[in-house]
Amino acid sequence: MTTAVPAQRSTGGGGGSSGLYDVLELILDRGLVIDAFVRVSLVGIEILKIDVRVVVASVDTYLRFAEACNRLDLESGPRKSPGLPEVLENATESGAGSKTKGALAGAAESISDAFRQGRSDEEETEPRRRRASARRKEETE
Amino acid sequence: MSVYVYGIARSDHPALPEKAPGVGRPPREVRIVREGDLAAIVSDCPEDLRPKRRDLLAHQQVLTEVGAKGPVLPLRFGSLSDGEEAVRGVLAEHAAHYIRQLEELDGRSEYNVKAVHREDEVLRLVLSQDTEARSLAERNRAAGGGSHEDKLRLGELVANAVREREAEDARLIEETLAPLAQRYVPGPEGSGWLANLSFLLDREGAEEFTAAVEELGRANPHLDIRATGPLPPYSFVGRPDEAGRTAQAAGSPAG
Repeated sequence: MTTAVPAQRSTGGGGGSSGLYDVLELILDRGLVIDAFVRVSLVGIEILKIDVRVVVASVDTYLRFAEACNRLDLESGPRKSPGLPEVLENATESGAGSKTKGALAGAAESISDAFRQGRSDEEETEPRRRRASARRKEETE
Repeated sequence: MSVYVYGIARSDHPALPEKAPGVGRPPREVRIVREGDLAAIVSDCPEDLRPKRRDLLAHQQVLTEVGAKGPVLPLRFGSLSDGEEAVRGVLAEHAAHYIRQLEELDGRSEYNVKAVHREDEVLRLVLSQDTEARSLAERNRAAGGGSHEDKLRLGELVANAVREREAEDARLIEETLAPLAQRYVPGPEGSGWLANLSFLLDREGAEEFTAAVEELGRANPHLDIRATGPLPPYSFVGRPDEAGRTAQAAGSPAG
């Protein structure tokens, strides 16, 4: 895996489900609200929100980062404190594309996968949460 | 029977999506309700409408189709009216406001940009730049991971550095992209991205904008950044009483 990820250019249109995932919050939270209209109830729908992906101060976070640092060093070999370019090269060389991506990107992927792989039209917007980081916006049934 | 309302356009819009498939299963047929210079894009509303995948997609698809040929004010998903008469009433009551917004949005689309850190890359970056964290990490590793306290100390140090980096990268993204847009606003809050911004772009500016997003990703391999668009301008429409606020918020989003 190389270092750059090109910007996705979703069509927004035909959308495809992964495109839908990226704009879901806009469709549900933004858009014109007209007072004279009522809004369909969202009760019973778990709206996905990838939450707490930004770093929060907590013991869990600290331990996770400490372990990740430990693991990183092992992955980049015996070299001590390599400079940045070298490090990136190592990341590329190791070829561990999915591995080096880290947990953060992984969460996004698993959720859009859930969208893509949804088996039927009937399925609601309830991607399975692999990380305990998705938050309920509305009550679940 | 309830009427599902997708959006509002000018009645002389060149391609109102009559008979397009709308929400529901089977899809309810889209029709147009006109009042003066305005047209509402509506369909029947299924009894049991809920935000299912296909319904969200139908909403998005109808609006995208209209938006490709002319300006449209997208309604939030799930807006229902008592009937066509009530829809006409709303169009008439706020006609000036809607027409003004349609003029402002003519030829423009929303692009949403989201970014998170690639964890391993950002950790490497932090360790390469922070001597203290690096030596602590090396000491812990030499000690087979280190004691609980050592781990906490390292973790806290690194987490703080990553958090600073998040703020720095958010600023970088905003400062790089804002000058390329007509307006921009923060995306819905609390969604956990280090940056989540919606930009309003002229059609001609879209290419330069997406190129700038790609360049940000190339230059900052620790950033997972993506732009989605063109989208109906969900983040740039406001109620009549919000018009002033929306205009003021433009270009200077809080937080």
